[in-house]
Amino acid sequence: MEKPKELTGKDQWLVFKRLLKYLAPHKRMLAVAMFLLVLTVIGDVLGPVLIKTFIDDYLTPGSFPTGPVAGLALGYFFIQVSNVVISYFQLLKFQEAALKIIQQLRIDVFTKVQNLGMRYFDRTPAGSMVSRVTNDTEAIKEMFVSVLIGFVQSIFLIVGVYIAMFFLNVRLALITLLVLPILVWIMYLYRKYSSEFYQDLRERLGQLNAKLSESLQGMGMVQAFGQEARLQDEFNNINEKHWQAGKRNIKLDGLLLHPAIDLVYALALILLLSYFGVTSFTNTVEVGVLYAFVAYINRFFEPVNQVMERLSIFQQAIVSASRVFELLDEDDLAPAQAGAGGEIVDGKIEFRNVSFSYDGKGDVLKNISFTAMPGETVALVGHTGSGKSSIINLLMRFYEFERGDILIDGQSVKEYPAKELRSKMGLVLQDPFLFYGTIDSNIRLHDHSMPDQTVQAAAQFVQADRFINELPKGYQQQVTERGSTFSSGQRQLVAFARTMATDPKILVLDEATANIDTETEVAIQVGLERMRQGRTTIAIAHRLSTIQDAELILVLHHGEIVERGTHQELLAKRGLYHKMYLLQNGIVE
Amino acid sequence: MRVFWELGWFFKERKKQYITGVILLLFVAFLGVLPPRIIGFVVDEIGRGTLTPAFLVKWLGILGASALLMYALRYAWRLMIFGSSILLAQNLRERLFTHFTRMSPAFYQKRRVGDLMAHATNDLQAVQQTAGIGVLTLVDSIATGGFVIAAMALTVSWKLTLIVLLPMPLMAYMTNYYGKLLHERFHGAQEAFSSLNDKTQESISGMKVIKTFGQEKQDIDDFKRLSDRVVDENIRVARVDSLFDPTISAIIGVCYFLALGFGTYFVMNGEMTIGDMVAFTTYLGLLVWPMLAFGWLFNIVERGRASYDRIRRLLAEPVDIDDREDAVDVRPQGDIVFSLEQFQFTGDDRAALRDVYFTLRRGETLGIVGKTGSGKSAILRLLLREFDHYDGDITFGGISVNDYKKQQLRKAIGYVPQDHFLFSTTIAGNIAFARPDAAMEEVHEAAKLAHIHQDILNFTEGYSTVVGERGVSLSGGQKQRISIARALMMRPELLILDDSLSAVDAKTEEAILSSLKKTRTGATTIITSHRLSAIQHAHQIIVMHEGTVAEIGTHDQLMKKKGRYYEMYELQQLEALVEQGGEA
Repeated sequence: MEKPKELTGKDQWLVFKRLLKYLAPHKRMLAVAMFLLVLTVIGDVLGPVLIKTFIDDYLTPGSFPTGPVAGLALGYFFIQVSNVVISYFQLLKFQEAALKIIQQLRIDVFTKVQNLGMRYFDRTPAGSMVSRVTNDTEAIKEMFVSVLIGFVQSIFLIVGVYIAMFFLNVRLALITLLVLPILVWIMYLYRKYSSEFYQDLRERLGQLNAKLSESLQGMGMVQAFGQEARLQDEFNNINEKHWQAGKRNIKLDGLLLHPAIDLVYALALILLLSYFGVTSFTNTVEVGVLYAFVAYINRFFEPVNQVMERLSIFQQAIVSASRVFELLDEDDLAPAQAGAGGEIVDGKIEFRNVSFSYDGKGDVLKNISFTAMPGETVALVGHTGSGKSSIINLLMRFYEFERGDILIDGQSVKEYPAKELRSKMGLVLQDPFLFYGTIDSNIRLHDHSMPDQTVQAAAQFVQADRFINELPKGYQQQVTERGSTFSSGQRQLVAFARTMATDPKILVLDEATANIDTETEVAIQVGLERMRQGRTTIAIAHRLSTIQDAELILVLHHGEIVERGTHQELLAKRGLYHKMYLLQNGIVE
Repeated sequence: MRVFWELGWFFKERKKQYITGVILLLFVAFLGVLPPRIIGFVVDEIGRGTLTPAFLVKWLGILGASALLMYALRYAWRLMIFGSSILLAQNLRERLFTHFTRMSPAFYQKRRVGDLMAHATNDLQAVQQTAGIGVLTLVDSIATGGFVIAAMALTVSWKLTLIVLLPMPLMAYMTNYYGKLLHERFHGAQEAFSSLNDKTQESISGMKVIKTFGQEKQDIDDFKRLSDRVVDENIRVARVDSLFDPTISAIIGVCYFLALGFGTYFVMNGEMTIGDMVAFTTYLGLLVWPMLAFGWLFNIVERGRASYDRIRRLLAEPVDIDDREDAVDVRPQGDIVFSLEQFQFTGDDRAALRDVYFTLRRGETLGIVGKTGSGKSAILRLLLREFDHYDGDITFGGISVNDYKKQQLRKAIGYVPQDHFLFSTTIAGNIAFARPDAAMEEVHEAAKLAHIHQDILNFTEGYSTVVGERGVSLSGGQKQRISIARALMMRPELLILDDSLSAVDAKTEEAILSSLKKTRTGATTIITSHRLSAIQHAHQIIVMHEGTVAEIGTHDQLMKKKGRYYEMYELQQLEALVEQGGEA
């Protein structure tokens, strides 16, 4: 559930203004669309003028000189046809512009997401971030397409209609101006009440759905405690309130939307006819002018109705936009690199008195120091929450740290250019994440310039080629969402190959905790072995058997290194490592 | 249109509202015909120079009165028809909810919550639209269209009406054609959007991989590519979408042209007046909406039918576990005898349990241990009667659990599940879940027994603290203890702790168990646990393995046996040591 947000009128206005800034890059396209819009409005407005001329000059007197009448007919026809064509392109241009604007907004949000630090990902559910990028921007698109464009079109049309009316008859035009304040007043009233009523309805719906969703999830409990009847009552109660809110909205819509606008329309007609009627008592009246005014008034009320009915979309879009901007303004960014240059040649890693806390309260790492010489393997062991993963997170620059320092080849990790770090350090995650695509695209990732041989060599190197070659389509085999059609071992092998394809100097391994199927188990062990050859390796090991040959094993407990040494040394100590070893081998002393 | 028939029961139920609504709609449609006609009259009088103030006042008075009347009627039918449609939604929602409360856990295992939610949200919405806007569109488009055409033909000229209506079917045809085209392209746009959605989802879930390989920029490029596709697909939609308005105005333009051309001819030979012609062209404008509305109607009805079908299918899903006809209406108490030959979950060909026999005397405690999937939970679920298809019999106080009224059986059992589910209400509300009107002292008492009272008092709002998504976040151990307090509030004959102490530390576990032992004398308890310390003191311990009883006995007996139980026990001792950092 999203937290319902209260936006004051001023906030809404600020959000709206910020949205409008996105129009700037599309000035030219919008100008073209506006120009076309002006043309169509002129066409719309001219039609009744021509008919008026026809009625007053030819129909009423009853004389039809062929030339001028044919000219009039042709003119009318031409205007109609060109208007149809122009309005098509006008509509299209506006929509195109709206789509481009939303695309830019989407790209901005997505780029922002990519630049956020892992800390942000930790505290934000993935679903809500996805919503920001796609659904919320979609709601804004709706507003652009169906509200703003319609609004602009209506304003232009209203202006055009008034210009034509003034041109035809100034006094009458002034009289019809009287309805404008009434319309504005109705719109104001509607906005005022509907924002409250509509909000209320949405909130009730939110409650209703929350209750339903919670009841469905906890149905086991509800039934076990025999509380079905009570829950039904509670639900019906909310349902009833929702119904009442719905009814309130129907009443409001009935009072202020279409019926009210139509009432104003009738008022405009009455004004018009009275004027003509009263004038006719003393002067002659041109019937054609009356016709034209009736036509204008009909034309005028159409878009007003449309815009009014869509005001609620506007409300929704502003809420969505405020959420999108909130994400865009987020300042929990990924750690920055000083980028002073430097190259990782040997791959010597040194942790110097590193302490770290995720939340600024409890330290998850306390004064960690160790050195991994080039080509050596350092293994991290300890139970859940001991700080193993945090060490990797800092080394990989997923989180910023302040206390202590991590050096690679004598230079702080903070100072290498991001590119250098990423290309020289390979991380294999515990949960090998596969992307939608093919095996090939999962090994090379976005690197299209990587030769096929490199991809295949990498797969061969970690012995992933065996299972890949057995696939019907080999490297081009489809990988569905998250690679669910592959076993966890196979996924792991692909992830290995992915890392090997970039040939990193430093290897960071987070060993899988999940049970690997026995078929791939051997391949994985061999793969790991080979990968570590000649690379400095930092490995989190859950199974102690895999790291017995590590040059250094660090045993972590509550963020501290409590034991360090080689496998043999640690066993001889008969401390924590020894107990873990016994536990894993199921040996009961 | 079949859906209107299928919803017939509701229309019957709200007969008065619908009939009144439809009559009002017809009346409004009829009144809508007046203004153009009045304009025509006035124009004619002005043209002839015979307009009198009395005539003008009379007709403008009628215009004004009919406008006010229309306003009132429009408001009224909305209330009748739209009001009924939301009532239908409310009614169906209530029925769905009641139905949901009757469905067994087996049902919830095969259906996803999101899917069930969709029935109660999107589908209901579509049905509501059918009963509201659908009915309106159907009646209004026919009535308005009919009245306007009748007015044109009867009060102006039937000849001109025929001529002018000629291009109208073309409009219906074209908009229908566009509609189909749009539907198809819209599908493409939807697909592009959902692949963008998937891409975003994937990038966010795989963010670590992307960061590891420094591929942020490439990934953004990939996203741009996909968003280009979204734009392209949507422009394809816009190309068709933008055709609607121009086409309609083109055809209306042709109609106007015909009206003026032939109208002039008729005016000249005296068949009609100029006022007639003005009235006629105004009528033309009124015909646009009914033509368009028919297109929408099909759309609304189509969606409504599909959705109503889904809702009906869900409501027709049978309640699989229900009270037997001669069900025993007393709260069970006494010994529990479990003698089961075989049980398997529906759709699973492997037996989940086989040959499980034990007797649990009233007032005793039974411990069940075993790995995940060994059948511990299945035993409990059969006791709770979540399933009733199995070979064997389970009796509680000498009567088969399947023969009790469901409500009675549940009253006797206080169940604390593994996945401690708390509702988003206050802590007190959660503890008193089964007895909402219990005295506060009782709630405190239960909380004390579950050793959560002190924790609760430490919250700023104490027992009134709201838990759940919008409230305070509790630790797993706190949730478990609240769940225990909730079960204790029932003063159950049988208390079941289904691995529900896993997240509390060893000391608290011991404290809870001993206070339970003290207060629940004479009442029966079943505890399943990974951690053997929780069941060590039970009167009887069952070790489950692959769906059957591997060992049975007391702690001491099982330790002497040096079998599975013994091994588990020793390893756990070691594990505890490791967790404490190696120092005992």
